[in-house]
Amino acid sequence: MAQRDSKSPQQPMLGFLTVLEHEQHGLTGGYLLLTTTGRPLEFHCTAPVKPSRAQQILFGPTLAPYLYGEHIGQTLVMKGSALPVILFTDVAPALAVGQFVEAPVVMVLSTTGREKRAEPTGLQLFCAGQNHLAIPASESRERIAAQLESLADFDCLEPFGRIREAIEEAQRGGSAKAA
Amino acid sequence: MADPAAAPLNVSSWARETACANLFSLSTATSPLDVLTAWTTASESVAAVSLDLRKAMPGRAVTLTVELPKPRLKVQSFRFPEAVAATLSKLDFPIPSGVGFAADAAAAVPLRQVTRLRPPADIVKLEDRLYYLLQPSLEAVLREGSLGIPFQPFSYQMEGIAFLYPRFAAVLADEMGLGKTMQAITAVRLLIHAGELRSVLLVCPKPLVSNWRREFSQWAPELPITIIEGDQAKRRWQWQSVESPIKIANYEVLQRDRSQALDVGGSFDLVILDEAQRIKNRSGATSQTVREIPRRRSWALTGTPVENSAEDLVGIFEFLAPGLLSAEMKPRAMGRTAAEYILRRTKDKVLTELPPKTFRDAEVELSAMQRESYQLAEEEGIVRLTSLADAATIQHVFELVLRLKQICNFDPATGDSSKYERLEADLEEVAASGRKAIVFSQWVSTLQTLSERLRRFQPLEYHGQVPTGKRDGVIEEFRNNSQRHVMLISYGAGGVGLNLQFAEYVFLFDRWWNPAVEDQAINRAHRIGAAGPVTVTRFLALDTIEQRIDQVLREKRELFDTIFSDAEPQRALGLTHQEIFGLFKLQCPSGPVRLAA
Repeated sequence: MAQRDSKSPQQPMLGFLTVLEHEQHGLTGGYLLLTTTGRPLEFHCTAPVKPSRAQQILFGPTLAPYLYGEHIGQTLVMKGSALPVILFTDVAPALAVGQFVEAPVVMVLSTTGREKRAEPTGLQLFCAGQNHLAIPASESRERIAAQLESLADFDCLEPFGRIREAIEEAQRGGSAKAA
Repeated sequence: MADPAAAPLNVSSWARETACANLFSLSTATSPLDVLTAWTTASESVAAVSLDLRKAMPGRAVTLTVELPKPRLKVQSFRFPEAVAATLSKLDFPIPSGVGFAADAAAAVPLRQVTRLRPPADIVKLEDRLYYLLQPSLEAVLREGSLGIPFQPFSYQMEGIAFLYPRFAAVLADEMGLGKTMQAITAVRLLIHAGELRSVLLVCPKPLVSNWRREFSQWAPELPITIIEGDQAKRRWQWQSVESPIKIANYEVLQRDRSQALDVGGSFDLVILDEAQRIKNRSGATSQTVREIPRRRSWALTGTPVENSAEDLVGIFEFLAPGLLSAEMKPRAMGRTAAEYILRRTKDKVLTELPPKTFRDAEVELSAMQRESYQLAEEEGIVRLTSLADAATIQHVFELVLRLKQICNFDPATGDSSKYERLEADLEEVAASGRKAIVFSQWVSTLQTLSERLRRFQPLEYHGQVPTGKRDGVIEEFRNNSQRHVMLISYGAGGVGLNLQFAEYVFLFDRWWNPAVEDQAINRAHRIGAAGPVTVTRFLALDTIEQRIDQVLREKRELFDTIFSDAEPQRALGLTHQEIFGLFKLQCPSGPVRLAA
């Protein structure tokens, strides 16, 4: 495992990580830290990343987990002032960020969203409250059971809509500045 | 194709030179060609280094170890410390014990509805825009913790709250009866709980203070409010008090306590003007006072942002965003400029579930005695105006208009009234069916005459001569007593703020100069909670000044529609001096002038 964040949360926070794919500009990552009641504490987003031809050739099928999970995901999570108690993502390749952060990583599925088109494989699927979730087969559900129980009424998919709008707004607002 | 093993091969040096790198080891025992092909592709456009493969022994493994850089990734970060304070326990005032909604109040929040905040165009800082964009839906916030809401709001009301929430200057101009009060209170409530407001001043007409108190207790029972009232010493203390985050003052008190309102030890986070058309006259004392109140946010609530002319809107915007609008702007340009700040919805657009409103124009012929009195008064008046020639003023014309309108109501000599006969017949039907009706007039004397003649219907009166302290009792009596079928109301006292949705009939016994005032009156009954269709009867005495005024009212509606819609103006708008004198086919003695309400 690469770097581990030693920061401890002052209050329980939920992390939401997504990556938007744009045909021309490439990948843009967004990471939102919320209170457990859904209010925003921090937002981090990357400048667009476009894999080079070399990366595409050399990484092969590992390119997406590398870009989503390590390159974008890990970078964003490390920018947070503290680690979330649980990290949600709505894109399967971003589950790879779990190798680099201590927080459990959970994928939120929707029955109509893009995840449906790319049904994740090798995952444990389950429901928690109103949410359809997936975790890597290697992950223990007991590890996240307590956090999920307290989020039974929380719509875990909704914050990703906020992230997408915020990324679009940030991109309209000018080029990203290095943090 | 050249043999890659036959000559030195150029490959990229960019990886090797990178200190922070991922390591990729690629090896092959049989086909260095594949690796080399990959590398040549990968290093197409970068500086080259030499790798001499002629030393490689045929049939032996060749290992290439190449460092791949991990490219830098630019990240933009935003932090919102406000969220930390957004809990009830962080509020600056004590929440009285035992207040709040029932435990299941969150259930009134619509589950499937999602209303998101949108940053207004005048918020330019990206961090501020993202702050609003990243907020949870209003429904999620209301479901949170102990907030809740007593009744399920309409979706347009949630949109109205989302409109007000992020705005520092806003006009909520919904048609009367759509719940502006509830929307403003809920927006204030959410902002207070989000830690964005600590001091709010609400200014409203005096008769509406008790209404606001009631609405606050219904929609935000946990928020303590202070009504500025009582003797001077008490009011001075109230202006300085920080015990409650919300102060409510009527316009007259504000004017009287001007110096204290302007010196509250800092600025208000928000000042709300209810019935904001009160400040349409920019040179008026009220307008000047409210503009001087130190504040961060300014909201105006009005169902009639334009009553007479486009200048009314300019007056309101002098409070909201001074200089944004000017009286010289054309109505369409004014509408475009103000659009970002104004939210206006009409019942027919958003309340499809509201019972219909039906208009009936009761066109009556004057009785013979009325006609005789009318003609005499008109002839005398015109003779007088003509004799005044250039000395004739609008005031002279108004005096004649009022005199003629009164004759259209009741003949002063005989008491004859065609309108009354029609009204009485209609009220018979209303009472027989167990319904309730409200009758509007601009004159207390007319209402008192009606009260006397309609005695068998036990009519109630609500006008300027009814003491303020008794008015709530009148409304309650009308609401609760099934034997009370008629209430007689003056436009001045009952045009705003009254909730009479249990009345299904509205009679406009005489017409006001201003269609917005008429709308206000009609919407006392036709509003949320209306039990059934509302029938509005507009009396009009044929071939009289009333018919000519009706034409003026239609023109004013055109003005309103021009500013608040994209429709092209149909004709020149506004009333000229000539048009006013033209009511009596007279030539105006001087240039254009605006007509007062």
